[in-house]
Amino acid sequence: MVVEVIVDGGILYGLLAVGAGLATGLAGIGAGVGEQGIGAAVVGVVAEEPGFLGKGLFLMLLPETLIIFGLAVSLILMFAWTPFA
Amino acid sequence: MLRPVEMSRVVVAGSNKVIEPVIEKLHDLNLLHVVNYSGADESFEMGKPIGKASEYAEQLIKLRSIERYLDISDKMPDKQFPESQVLSQMDGILGNVGDDVIATAERIAVIDNDVKVKQDQAKSLKPLAGLPLDLELLYGYDSLAAFVGTAASPVEADVSKVSYVNEVFTASSGGANAVAVFVPVDKAGEVSGVLSEHGFSEISVPRGPTGSIAGAISTLESDAKRLEDEKVTLQKRLKDIRAQHEDIILSVDEYLSIQSQKAESPLRFASTDNAFVIDGWLPTDQYETLKKELESAAGGRVQVEKLESAEADKLVETGEDIPTKMQNPSIVRPYELITRLFAIPEYKEFDPTLLIFIFFPLMFGLILGDVAYGVISLIVMFMLKRKFRTPGWQSLINIVIIASIWAIIFGFLFGEIFGPLGLWDYIFSGAHHVGLLGTVADPHHVGIDFGAGFYGPLGRIGPSGLSGFAGAMFPMYRLATASVLVLIGVSIFIGVVHTGIGSILGVKTELAYGEKRHAYYERLPVLLFQVFFGLGLLGLIVGGLSNPLVLLSALVIVISIVMMIKGPEGVMGATHIPFFVSNLISYLRLLAIGLASVGVASAANQLAFYVLMPMLSGGAHEGFTTIAIVVGIVVLIMVHFINLLLGILSPFMHPLRLHYVEMFTKFYSQHGGGVEYSPFGRVRRFLRD
Repeated sequence: MVVEVIVDGGILYGLLAVGAGLATGLAGIGAGVGEQGIGAAVVGVVAEEPGFLGKGLFLMLLPETLIIFGLAVSLILMFAWTPFA
Repeated sequence: MLRPVEMSRVVVAGSNKVIEPVIEKLHDLNLLHVVNYSGADESFEMGKPIGKASEYAEQLIKLRSIERYLDISDKMPDKQFPESQVLSQMDGILGNVGDDVIATAERIAVIDNDVKVKQDQAKSLKPLAGLPLDLELLYGYDSLAAFVGTAASPVEADVSKVSYVNEVFTASSGGANAVAVFVPVDKAGEVSGVLSEHGFSEISVPRGPTGSIAGAISTLESDAKRLEDEKVTLQKRLKDIRAQHEDIILSVDEYLSIQSQKAESPLRFASTDNAFVIDGWLPTDQYETLKKELESAAGGRVQVEKLESAEADKLVETGEDIPTKMQNPSIVRPYELITRLFAIPEYKEFDPTLLIFIFFPLMFGLILGDVAYGVISLIVMFMLKRKFRTPGWQSLINIVIIASIWAIIFGFLFGEIFGPLGLWDYIFSGAHHVGLLGTVADPHHVGIDFGAGFYGPLGRIGPSGLSGFAGAMFPMYRLATASVLVLIGVSIFIGVVHTGIGSILGVKTELAYGEKRHAYYERLPVLLFQVFFGLGLLGLIVGGLSNPLVLLSALVIVISIVMMIKGPEGVMGATHIPFFVSNLISYLRLLAIGLASVGVASAANQLAFYVLMPMLSGGAHEGFTTIAIVVGIVVLIMVHFINLLLGILSPFMHPLRLHYVEMFTKFYSQHGGGVEYSPFGRVRRFLRD
């Protein structure tokens, strides 16, 4: 009976969606944790030296790539990978 | 355009007798970027200020303090003044008007202080208001100790126990029990102990006011009120003075700044007893102008010479910076703001502003991609343009205006006006629409059925027969599977081109600095790696593993990795490979953020038209009641407003990141930032010739 449930396309599609959500969501949390320290430091530096804003932004935006990795996985799960075509 | 303006090193030497006309002329020309004399040469010393330098400095200090009191800050001029008018009004501004302003401002400061003191006194006296004693009776005894304050419980009985001779007054007002206890001085210590057991806390009685306590409080309060009123009139006076004199004060500021800049300029020159030498850089094509003008100003008693480039190079090697003057057509110039925010390009580097002008609005448009949002942001920007007239704001607003136009263009390609048209189509024509979730049975066709719909007889345009699309390609429903796949490809393609251009410029920059090894073994392999990584992906999608393109790409990628390992960083060079891959994947944000914004817009529309309106109309899908329509529209406006705010912010920040992180790291600012060309002189804003 368990097998029967899992084979059901609807459930599989739902699990796929949950996985995709987790991939983007968890990656987002990771990037946020990474950015918080950098952001605080950058605000501190910019308060002292406004000319640093551009370079500060550069450093702050570095960890953001993490989300994009998670997102790429989500996109593949949702759109490109179709195990029950 | 990708290069800064060509500069030449110039030396101006002359007799001290003509230093004043030379400085005057140099300042007017506003051409020469002066290199400060370092004092390295023993035969020269630093020049001395000429004319009335210290007088100008003093006047400037006074003027700046007047500006601070009047709360005047730099702004765009409303009107301009001829220099003669500024000179004639300057004494008045610095004299009568200035003294008036300073006196008024100082009086306001005194009032502020007095009001605070009086309010504090009134507040501390409040608990004592009920005591049947005059204020002057509460202090000033030789043989008596006075305790005035509040107590938590009645104290009279206990005080009598320790000191038979006593006088205790009590009163309660406003929830506090006020007590005034008078005992002989020699009992003071014991009484104080007794009082503290009753939770006594002393109130220090202010020495100024006299008479009954309640009367004193009301006098203090009315005094404070009177002073506040006086302050209001004084503030109004300052405001009037500001309104009347703001522009002239700023022009006097400009005049004095110019004079003091001129008077102090010899401090930057090398000089001897009889002669002066000025070093500097200027745009090469302006050299003849400078030479001719200076020679005529000094009556030929000045020598202007251009250094040969070999000599100039030698100076650069000893640590002198060549100033950079970016050179861009006026439509591109606002984007210098983005370049400048990161770093000023070095003289030998490329100026990336033109590339930002090409790619930034394109990326912004690709992300936002909605006709209505684009139009709204355009209108708002044109409104802000009148309000914020400083150069920085103007640049920023122009950037967003150009980007908004791209957003409108992409809005047409995506068929989006406040969200995808497919939905509007359903609402207004009742045509068939496949919902986002109605697809579990057939996941390949998520929302693909776009309908002939809103574009009416125009139908759809572009290449037809693309996998997943029923008819032609545009307008493209961005939330459909096939569009997502196409946009993934487009994003990566933009990434390959974007980073590729960065790498090519990187190779050329390294060559310009004479770093061949860095150019061919550090920059070039990155270019090969990223281009063929992209091509390889394309090959994989089109033909699978055995596609010749895939094989070729794999070969080139291996070669590029070998080149990196042979490069200046050795094996460490190859450790950057994940970074190069993530560079490309990073461009997926172009698709992702756009999808998020369409998603919100689409959800807002669905919420209003499919959920709220039918619900409030008793479940009917047609013939909505008025209240349903009103509530639906309010919800629509709210959600779209929020979405628009986010939709302008994130399409701005993320392309910025793509430029700073993905592109600039390939070629820009590798040798530290440059020095901006800032010629000796000043653009006159408030002064008129």
